[in-house]
Amino acid sequence: MAAAHEEAAAWSEEAARRVWGGAVPLQVHLHDADVTALPPPPPFLTLGPRIGYLPLLIPVIKAHFSNALPPGVDTVWFEYKGLPLKWYVPIGVLFDLLCTDPERPWNLIVHFRGYPSEILSPCEGEDIVKWSYMNSLKEATFIITGNSKSVMNMSQADQVALWESVRKGNLGGYKNISTRLKLAPFEEDGLVRTASTERQHQQSSDEPESPGFGKPCRVPVRLYVRGVQEDLEDIEDAMPVRDWESVSYINRPFEIRKVEGRSYITLGHALQTLLPEFFSSDTQNAEEVDSAAGNSDTTDPSRSSQEAEPASVSLREAEITKKAKVKLVRVQGIELDMDIPFLWVANNLKNPEFYLHICVYVSTRKQ
Amino acid sequence: MAAEVDQKVVVHVRSTGDAPILKQSKFKISGRDKFLKVIEFLRRQLHQDTLFVYINSAFSPNPDELVIDLYNNFGIDGKLVVNYALSAAWG
Repeated sequence: MAAAHEEAAAWSEEAARRVWGGAVPLQVHLHDADVTALPPPPPFLTLGPRIGYLPLLIPVIKAHFSNALPPGVDTVWFEYKGLPLKWYVPIGVLFDLLCTDPERPWNLIVHFRGYPSEILSPCEGEDIVKWSYMNSLKEATFIITGNSKSVMNMSQADQVALWESVRKGNLGGYKNISTRLKLAPFEEDGLVRTASTERQHQQSSDEPESPGFGKPCRVPVRLYVRGVQEDLEDIEDAMPVRDWESVSYINRPFEIRKVEGRSYITLGHALQTLLPEFFSSDTQNAEEVDSAAGNSDTTDPSRSSQEAEPASVSLREAEITKKAKVKLVRVQGIELDMDIPFLWVANNLKNPEFYLHICVYVSTRKQ
Repeated sequence: MAAEVDQKVVVHVRSTGDAPILKQSKFKISGRDKFLKVIEFLRRQLHQDTLFVYINSAFSPNPDELVIDLYNNFGIDGKLVVNYALSAAWG
């Protein structure tokens, strides 16, 4: 048991290292209207950390283009195929959501003038990015613990150190502080326990304080749902996102309900619960079958796999004949298998503000 | 995109610090609206360009978040409690 636990911990550490080390190669072009030099400056190549934010790259980008910029006050923003990029969305999420066919490098346009304030909230510099990060962290904390106290009670020095670790991608420094917030991990084996099994577990566990014991465990999730044409044969041919109104930005925590027996929560099942509007009522029936199947130990492997994982079956085989169908799910650049345990995803692929960001592509039927 | 029924959310606004108190402290807003609409409403009512707006005296949500999501996640006794201040109150 101890060996298995250690192995799981080692895997989690490896996952965190990869999430924190993940970066999107960016090729940043200066917008034509901002060019005052001849010849125009070459594009700037840099790595955008997946967990990072675009405004944090401004100092190096500005330095590269400084000789070509018009005089005056800069208001920097980024654009991809005509769409102004929301600066508070992590770079990796923007890439997964907007770049259907992951182009490397990712070609972005940087503007130093004409901030589209009707589309983007103001961003005067790093302080506002820090503010946004800390507030998302407090929001996630509220979802997990029912209040934001553990973050609000942090010392000023710890708050600064936490932000600095995120800004610099320093996983070690981040862990030192974030573990004290006691927000993770969610129940580590991804099982829903009944009261009796929970008691047994608590007796044998070294970490009785982990969240989820005795109260419903809520996992903070941010979903970005974008539609693609229904008749699409290749997801890479999807029309680019033209405006943010076509992306549903949904904040719904996944609540782990205690059900009788031990039931395995797959990513597919969690998505089905989080986004019921994209699933038909047939799917809800399937969900009930799932809970019922959890009670009995079925020995027929084909039968049990069918009953235990209706989400993946439904998603893949398109039993759902509603107006929308899930085409693709991306988390941290990975196209995830719907059978993967949801809590593994939440624990290992979350961003440093404890939100799990999930990009969902759905095909929509023309009305 | 999602075809949900349009649920109205009762927002209860509370002033913090030296921010003026509004005559009407409760109002209804469509759940499909973004939180930005609450912020803009308060800015207009208070004639303030800079306003710090929080949920449950704890955090400032993203202006793009839907009111219905905030209500479902953080609503108390059938209301969404929104605090506003003229200067940063809870960091």
